[in-house]
Amino acid sequence: MEPAIIETRGLTKSFDGISAVDDLDLTIRGGCAYGLIGRNGAGKTTTLRLLMALLRPDSGSARVLGVNLWTAPASIRERVTYVSQDQNLYAWMTSRELQHYASHLYSRWDARYADHLARQFSLPLDVPVGVLSGGEKRKAAILIALAARPDVIVLDEPAAGLDPVARRELIDALVEVLTDRPDSTLLFSSHIISDLERIVDHVGMMDRGRMLLSGEVDELKTRMRRLQLIFEGDHPPPGFRLPGAIRLEIDGPVVSAIVRAEDESEFAGLEDRYGARLHMFPLGLEEIFIEMASATRDGRVQEEEVVS
Amino acid sequence: MSDLLHFQVDAASGVPAYRQLMDQVRYYVASGALAPGDKLPSIRSLAKRMHLNPTTITKAYSELQHLGVVVNEQGKGVFVADRVASLSEDQRFAELRRLATGFASAARQLGATPEEASRALRVEMERLEPAPE
Repeated sequence: MEPAIIETRGLTKSFDGISAVDDLDLTIRGGCAYGLIGRNGAGKTTTLRLLMALLRPDSGSARVLGVNLWTAPASIRERVTYVSQDQNLYAWMTSRELQHYASHLYSRWDARYADHLARQFSLPLDVPVGVLSGGEKRKAAILIALAARPDVIVLDEPAAGLDPVARRELIDALVEVLTDRPDSTLLFSSHIISDLERIVDHVGMMDRGRMLLSGEVDELKTRMRRLQLIFEGDHPPPGFRLPGAIRLEIDGPVVSAIVRAEDESEFAGLEDRYGARLHMFPLGLEEIFIEMASATRDGRVQEEEVVS
Repeated sequence: MSDLLHFQVDAASGVPAYRQLMDQVRYYVASGALAPGDKLPSIRSLAKRMHLNPTTITKAYSELQHLGVVVNEQGKGVFVADRVASLSEDQRFAELRRLATGFASAARQLGATPEEASRALRVEMERLEPAPE
């Protein structure tokens, strides 16, 4: 197994007594494309800022490339790039000047790659960044984060505010990173899952500062199902139980449930075990998130389940 | 040849993207659109074309190789296998059931009887190239 490139243990942070990140354990291995997803206010940005050493934790630890970035030397820090939601770029510089400036900050700066990205992003290079649109500013910042050729790329809500074409350009740039530099680790946060779902291989679902569920995307999708059992007669047999159900509704002979199995093969035996008609439907990440978040709020499942 | 084929996955679906891709390759093989010996697109080009994480393509290709649908020739690429390696009858039936799940629920929603659904299946199977023997 690849070593952990990003790791938090018991990470906790509150602002004015309001908890933002609560005892968070997060492990991201090298070469992963990890999506940290959750609603607004779930603690995603705070988690990223703690990892980037832009905030100090109240307790717990946050490590990137094996070290705490507060005390890491520049030689480590330049291997990690971060794009926040509100890019604080020098408004008076043009994108070309910004790139020139960044080329002195990052020893692995790749000028040819920067040119390639600028073309791919159709980014105007010779106007001050301050007059660019929100989407263009974001692309200018992402360009710098990628052309620095880091080992770890951290993007906070990279797709927010981008139109569909710009989102596709961003995804294509990230696909290129994943293809050409398969060892680099990508972490981004998002409250919308849709587009970025094409490239994430692992997700962590956060809710109220805690990790609801984390694991490999394919694994989560194959282990969770919406299912419907239809029994002969008026109701399920006495003593009917459905192991792994995180939501269960019974309406006469019809049982509707969301089930999380230990193993995909468990689903195969259900029909025979209950002697009922079975319909099964796969769940997308968004549905999994919604079901897990509401089930946890109702106290129906334990928090911090880890699947891989 | 395979560069002209259209591959598409719905990332929002609950069916993992690599499985959707596997199903498409198998469909193209079954329908004759991909013939034995045809080269599949490279991982790099398919990741780019489909806007997908290359690990998804790698996973689909390696599962297909495991099932004997394709062979990976080191340094040359991934090719459709000469003969689809035979699964045991049980394995094949389990796989068919998995593939039939979506079809079965759609058929029921249309109010079709199992006989009607089977007939539709037979018509579609007969349209495909004859099975190699």
